[in-house]
Formats: sequence, structure tokens, C-alpha cells
Amino acid sequence: MTDPKQRITESEAIEQAKQGQEAAFEVLYHLHKRRVYSLCLRMVSNPAQAEDLAQEAFLQLFRKIGTFRGESAFSTWLHRMTVNVVLMQLRKKGLPVVSLEETLEADDEAPRKEFGTKDLKLTGSIDRLQLQRAIDRLPPGYRTVFVLHDVEGFEHNEIAQIVGCSIGNSKSQLHKARLKLRDYLKFMRAEKAKTG
Amino acid sequence: MTCSEVQRVLPEFLDDAPDVRIQTDFEAHLKSCPDCSDLVSDLKLISSEARQLATSEEPAPRVWARIAAELRAEGLVREPGSTGPMLVPTSPGRRWSALWLAPVAAALVAAGSYVVNHRPTPPVATQQATATPVTSPAVTAPAPETPAVASHSVPTPAPQQLAEKSAKRTDIVGPSAGPAIASAVEPEPSAEDQQFLRAVSTLAPSTRATYESQLQAVNADIRESQAYLDRNPGDPDARQHLMDAYQQKALLYQIALDRIQ
Repeated sequence: MTDPKQRITESEAIEQAKQGQEAAFEVLYHLHKRRVYSLCLRMVSNPAQAEDLAQEAFLQLFRKIGTFRGESAFSTWLHRMTVNVVLMQLRKKGLPVVSLEETLEADDEAPRKEFGTKDLKLTGSIDRLQLQRAIDRLPPGYRTVFVLHDVEGFEHNEIAQIVGCSIGNSKSQLHKARLKLRDYLKFMRAEKAKTG
Repeated sequence: MTCSEVQRVLPEFLDDAPDVRIQTDFEAHLKSCPDCSDLVSDLKLISSEARQLATSEEPAPRVWARIAAELRAEGLVREPGSTGPMLVPTSPGRRWSALWLAPVAAALVAAGSYVVNHRPTPPVATQQATATPVTSPAVTAPAPETPAVASHSVPTPAPQQLAEKSAKRTDIVGPSAGPAIASAVEPEPSAEDQQFLRAVSTLAPSTRATYESQLQAVNADIRESQAYLDRNPGDPDARQHLMDAYQQKALLYQIALDRIQ
């Protein structure tokens, strides 16, 4: 027999959660936990920390659920809170370790610098661990847009609502993030090739 | 099309529907420029590999357990099986049902002030333990509790003793509370107290019990102070102590309001 908790829709769960029904909170949690946790994990690369951040994001959401009026999609609202919680945490911890961007003299508009030789071009395959490490090196703003779009699959109009920027800004940030990731990955490959 | 032009329109070609007018030039350039061709391939690869990072992992069950525990601790969820009106401190509509606490709290202070400053001198001939309750005509605050009918003599504490008793009681802030002052007979709660008790009934059991005991304690203090003032109407300390007791009750209402909101 299907668990009754699973049969209610998201909007029903929202209304019941406003009434203080714990089962409704649980439904909402299970509906969104993977995406929230994934976003946190990709942003901080630490499962324990990601759990803490996910927990905090859900708690903030549930405390304010009575104010949700449906002007935006519930998931958009939830992910906006998640991003804010994560960025707050990143601000507290300071910026990530020194990244390659500090060594780059090139203007963003100029042709990209090439790291390593052509034999080590990126095409072919990417080590996922290296990709995650490269993502960790991105500045928080780029990292957020990249994770939301390329990892989590949000569209630019959703990202604009979540992050609070324009659609054009979201596209620009994404493109720059990808360019930087390419540079980081090629650098890592070059370093690895040196050490053998 | 130059390399710079390719890089300028690249986001459009990667994510959006490209402009067909420049698509031919774009693709022709890629065929003739290995660097740009590699760049486009790399960016597509990064994007597609990133999607694989979307975790199918779930947070551990303890995450929900902690969230649920916190929701209960904050009084945001209804206790299983609890009945009665739900005061969820969320939507404005629901907050209204708890906002009555604020004006009642203010009215309590006003009523206390009125009672303290306008009490008629009680008859000297007979001093009965039962005193008629004094009602304030101007405010909607609850009438002072009728003191228990004492068939036995109950020594009425002097103001200093009353003050000491209040000082010993733990400050009415938050859930940690001192022991309730026992009364021989607990009178029926006033309408406002009943509403207060309904409002806090939705909180966690331990928190609810604290508020209930605090209400009992402060009501007992009001009764004792009134009884003493009845016998000593000219005593300014007695008046002040009664006023303090009303203010304590108003504070209790306000704390509950803050918690429910």
C-alpha cells in the first residue's frame, strides 16, 4: 500500500506544513533533499559540511514557509535559500585557496592562455575528481552559476531568480566559469604530466 | 569569422539556439582553426561531465532527524494527536490569533495600575479572607483572581516577604523557570488565561508546562499581593508589589507572543 504521505502533492504539503503538520514537512524534505544536498556538496566538496548546510537551508525554509505566497516556484525559493546559506558559509571561511586566476595576466576578453602542450588538450575525458577540484577553485559567484546550470540543470531564468541577477549576467558568468575550469584542468594535467 | 568573434558568440552556440545567419561562418571557422575547435569541444565536454556530478547521493537520515527535532523544539510542528487550534507562527492570518497577547499584556499593566491606585478602602469592621474582585471599568484586562476562600487562617506575607519570594523565583524569561508558588486552591482561569493556555498548548510539552507553571505562579503572586493590599490599603510597598506582579504577568504574555511568532 502506498504511503499516504507520498500521495499528497507539493502544494498540498506546503499548505499542511503551514498548519504545522510534521508529515508535510517531511514530504517537502524528501521531495527536494537530493537537489539541495547535491548543490551544497558541489559547492563545498565536503559531505559532512554539505549535510549541515542542507539542514540549515531546510530549517530556514520551514521557519518561513508561512510567508510563501507562490510568486515563484517553491523549488526556486528553496534553492535561493540554499545558495544564500552556502555563500554565507563560504564568506565566513574566506575565499578558496589561491587560484590560477591570480597568475593570469590575460584580460578575460583576450584569447585564452594555453597551459601545457597541445598533446594534453582536454578533449577526450575528464577526471571527475579533478573537475570537482577545479570547481572548488572557482570564485563563489562563478561556482554558484556553474553548479546550478551545468551540474544541477537549472535554466538561466531560474538561476537569475535564485541568485538575483539578470539572465544575461547568468549566461556571462557561466561562460567565464567554463573558461576558467578549462584553464584549471589543463594546468592540472600539465602538472601531472611533469611529475609523471 | 575571427577567433575573437567566435569566442564572443560561443555562449550562444553552446547553450542557446544559434543565429542561423552566423552559424555557417562559425562552423567554417572551427573547421579551419584547431584552437577554437578544441575550445568548443572542451567547453562542451566540461558541461556534459559536470552533469554527471549531480549526485544521486542522499543526505544521511540523521539530517531529517535533526531537522524534525529542531522543528519540534521551536514549536513549529503540531504534536501528534494534539487537538485544538494550531498556532503556527507563519502566515499573518495565523499570527493574528496570537497577537491578542500584546494588547492584553499592555492592558494588564494598565489594569494593575488602576487597581493599585484606585482601590477603595475596604471596610474596617470585618476582614474576611474572601475579597470582592475589583474590576477595572476602563480596560479589558482580566479581573484579579478571587483569593481562595480560607476557612483556615492563612498568614498574609508582608511586602518584604512577597518581594523576597519574587526575587527567589527564577526570572520569567525563557523556559527555565522557578518552582510554582503553590496555592491552597487554584481558582478557575480567567478567559484571557484560558486563551493564553490554548495559545501555548501547541508548543513542545516541556515548554508548555513551563508557561503553565509560570502563569500559576504569577497569578498566585497577584492574589497574595491583592490580599495584602486589601488589609493594608495605605501601604505603598504593597501597591508597588501588586503592580510588579501585573507587570510580570504582562511580561509572560509578551514572551509567549514572541515565541509563538
